[in-house]
Amino acid sequence: MTDLTMHLTTEEIELWAQGLLPAARALHLADCSLCRVEGDRERKVILELVQLPHFAPTAGFADRVMAHVKVPTPSDSWKV
Amino acid sequence: MSAASDQQVVAWAKQGHDAAFRELVRRYERPVFSLLYRMVRNHALAEDLAQETFIKVLNGIKSYRPEFKFSSWIFKIANNAAIDHLRRKSIDTLSLDGAPSAETPEQMRATSLQLGDRAESPLDEVENRELGTAIERAIGRLRPEYRSCILLRHVEGYSYEEIAETLELPLGTVKTYIHRARNELRGYLEDRRD
Repeated sequence: MTDLTMHLTTEEIELWAQGLLPAARALHLADCSLCRVEGDRERKVILELVQLPHFAPTAGFADRVMAHVKVPTPSDSWKV
Repeated sequence: MSAASDQQVVAWAKQGHDAAFRELVRRYERPVFSLLYRMVRNHALAEDLAQETFIKVLNGIKSYRPEFKFSSWIFKIANNAAIDHLRRKSIDTLSLDGAPSAETPEQMRATSLQLGDRAESPLDEVENRELGTAIERAIGRLRPEYRSCILLRHVEGYSYEEIAETLELPLGTVKTYIHRARNELRGYLEDRRD
């Protein structure tokens, strides 16, 4: 059984910030303002990170890549 | 084809199906470009490095080992391209008087930093808009090693173990980098709010 007074580890704080910490461990936060403050700060930064968008290269990127790719012919693969 | 697993698409690519190569580009062009863009913070350069990454991966598709995730393989090559570029750049731009490799006054002039002599191009405007938010600027201030770990962890959703495998780093190092990166980001963002 886990001691409820034991502070959360760095990894547990990350799990809590993502809503993934087991409830039994999360109970510690009800009584520990130190871990709660740390968890809230961590949650804010993780939230900003997970909301970052993917960017797209300019149009025609795939064509520019494929112009330099040698697609093996079926006969090449049959030789393997 | 879009419902097939990466492993299946790679198998088709190995058999010589052009559409399978294009499907791999379609799946990964945005994640790979985004990682590179946030690493080098220059749109055109990120695109060159992304193109280089895909060409290397697709031309080497026969050497891909299916016991590894395809995404890990492509991110590994992309990250190496970014880190190599940043290392070269740090060597070439350390001095305002020109690159260390410059031997003649002409070479020194040609490679020296010219401050304030560059007009903003349309691409610069795109970069300022895309990478100008507080969190993007904070990411840009991280060490490159921290940056790739934090991006793979929280933008791509990789586990610590997958990041360690992808970047060929010990698991403990990955945990340390991510913890330090988040601490630094928190510091930058809290400074902004003060």
